[in-house]
Amino acid sequence: MEPVIEGLSLVLDLNNIVLIFGGVLIGVVVGALPGLSSPMAVALLLPFTLSLEPVPAICMMAALYCAGTFGGSITAILINAPGAPPAVATAFDGYPMAKRGEAGRALGLATFSSVFGGVFSLVVFLFAAPFLAKVALKFRPPEYFALAIFALSMLASISGKSSLRNLISGGFGVLIGTIGIHLTTGVERFTFGIHELTEGINFIPVLIGLFAMSELLNQSQALDVAYERIRTGVVKLPSRADLKLVWPTILRSSGIGTFIGILPAEGSTVAAIMGYNEAKRWSKRKEEFGSGTPEGISGPEAANNAATGGAMVPTLALGIPGSGTTALILAALIIHGFRPGPYLIRETPEFVYAIFGAMLLANIMFLAIGLIGAKTFSMITLIPRAILWPAVFTFSIVGAYAGSGSIFDIWVMFIAGVAGFIMLRHGFGLAPLVMGLILGKLVEESFSQSMIMYDNKFLGLFESPIVTLLFVLTFISLLWPFMGPIMKMAFSHPRSRGEGE
Amino acid sequence: MAKTKGDGRRGGSLLAGDGQDGLIHRTDLIVAFIVIAICGFFYYVTTTFEEVSNLLAQNVPPEFFPRWVLIIIVVLALGLPFEHVVHSKRGGNIDSERSERVKQMPYLTAGLLFVFIAAMPYIGTLLSTVGICLALPLLWGARRWRLIIPFALIFPTIVAYVFDRILLVQYEPGLFGITF
Repeated sequence: MEPVIEGLSLVLDLNNIVLIFGGVLIGVVVGALPGLSSPMAVALLLPFTLSLEPVPAICMMAALYCAGTFGGSITAILINAPGAPPAVATAFDGYPMAKRGEAGRALGLATFSSVFGGVFSLVVFLFAAPFLAKVALKFRPPEYFALAIFALSMLASISGKSSLRNLISGGFGVLIGTIGIHLTTGVERFTFGIHELTEGINFIPVLIGLFAMSELLNQSQALDVAYERIRTGVVKLPSRADLKLVWPTILRSSGIGTFIGILPAEGSTVAAIMGYNEAKRWSKRKEEFGSGTPEGISGPEAANNAATGGAMVPTLALGIPGSGTTALILAALIIHGFRPGPYLIRETPEFVYAIFGAMLLANIMFLAIGLIGAKTFSMITLIPRAILWPAVFTFSIVGAYAGSGSIFDIWVMFIAGVAGFIMLRHGFGLAPLVMGLILGKLVEESFSQSMIMYDNKFLGLFESPIVTLLFVLTFISLLWPFMGPIMKMAFSHPRSRGEGE
Repeated sequence: MAKTKGDGRRGGSLLAGDGQDGLIHRTDLIVAFIVIAICGFFYYVTTTFEEVSNLLAQNVPPEFFPRWVLIIIVVLALGLPFEHVVHSKRGGNIDSERSERVKQMPYLTAGLLFVFIAAMPYIGTLLSTVGICLALPLLWGARRWRLIIPFALIFPTIVAYVFDRILLVQYEPGLFGITF
């Protein structure tokens, strides 16, 4: 109990409250602006937090993560342009409801559902993270190796167009992670004689380039896109009738979102889409979906925000990111000198509970912001793109430069940005690359240690039942995207197949 | 009668893309080739790593792990040209994000940013960011001078000031020695 109180007292420090509020504001603004995303904001915020103490720095990012997921719903509802991918499903029913003059009701439902989902997942986080960490304390290098491989295999089923491309992206991320001096032998790898590369690629410019600069290049193609903004009145909490209608949906979606969030590599977008689909499947009024039904708003909103707390569980307990943004938070933890994983919870539990407290506070803050300030936040979509993106690039330059004070890192950011733009165009995900980058070192180190343990016999790894189980899960995870449709076709009713044809 | 995907076929070519059905996707074939070429290059680089004794490397030499990663990427890349078949069976379109050609603007934007980053050691970080905030809106077609000029002058200066005084990050002063 003592670490919980200590952690919460860290959060309730006035400076930290101000920083968390700042994180929430940035998160809602970034989430609401189409094109800007939570991973981009966390990547841009990272260099600013270098001069902060670790607790406020990570708490600010965690608050931004929660608020960014919620912020996307404002523009999804008011202009039918989801500010962030997790809000895509919210637009399906949020926008039609707003169009028929009930924007306040739609925003109220979205806010309430988001807060409920977020708090629900945090309660799970409070109990699950220490439990998972306790189990993970028994993990040795072979188990860590298998776990990291399992997390990388989950890239096959992560949201995105193609499993194959996600895995290739992840592979390139792992490869980038090998740049620099090999720890065991001291041999330089892929440095090409550039002394800045001997200590490896700096995370910050790569992350900023991938998420901010690639999007800038993408946005330069859509300068003529105009949004029609729906005027909104007062944002209202859901009425008793609405609550009666949506509470089963909110509960179900909160559970789905938390579970999806806990799975390595899965994120809020998958959770939101599953939340929407399940809301529709269980609804008595399926035909009303798409025309502005309350369940169509609550389903995805509760799920996408629940996924944020869920995603923090493997991130902090195992050091395996639960989503793209948590991969960045993991990078921030490493930069701030922490080793995420079971030792983090065992040795500095108050730090983990401080993050929990920050996320809880962020949820309460954006409940207020959503109810009072949604109307104001919808106005930020009026900022001209020709002003917004140069400002983002200015932050990108100084952010990339701040870490090392070297123009070399600005070039790294530029190259990562151009590469990210090309990758996105051809369907290669950026979040898988970041996950590969972060997990790569863990994979290599734990593999090397395992080989030493088992005298260079790979099959020795299977002596551990946990390793065997994780490899079986890896196998299933890799084959699932390909086997799923085949099994669906094989087991579908012959008549229905005929109808399909 | 419902129109099936095969109706749109413009010939029984092996290559797919540009509206044609086929087994191998034309663009993805090139993408796979590029990915494999990159991997081939990096594999070659691993052959240039300094050799170390097995005792020092503890049986896991420095090239071992990168080589395995490269081999896995190549194996995965071999599937890229055929992936569109699975996608179209699921009703998806693998080309949705690249169906239109890349417009001229991303190239010009990247070129402009390249020029200002290259000029940074000479004109300094502050002047570079001012230049970007001025030139990028103009390149993108904005002509609201009353908005652009104050923005280009004030915004980067405030950011530079915050970094210099609060975060203690010294900007590149350039040949003109511009700093706070």
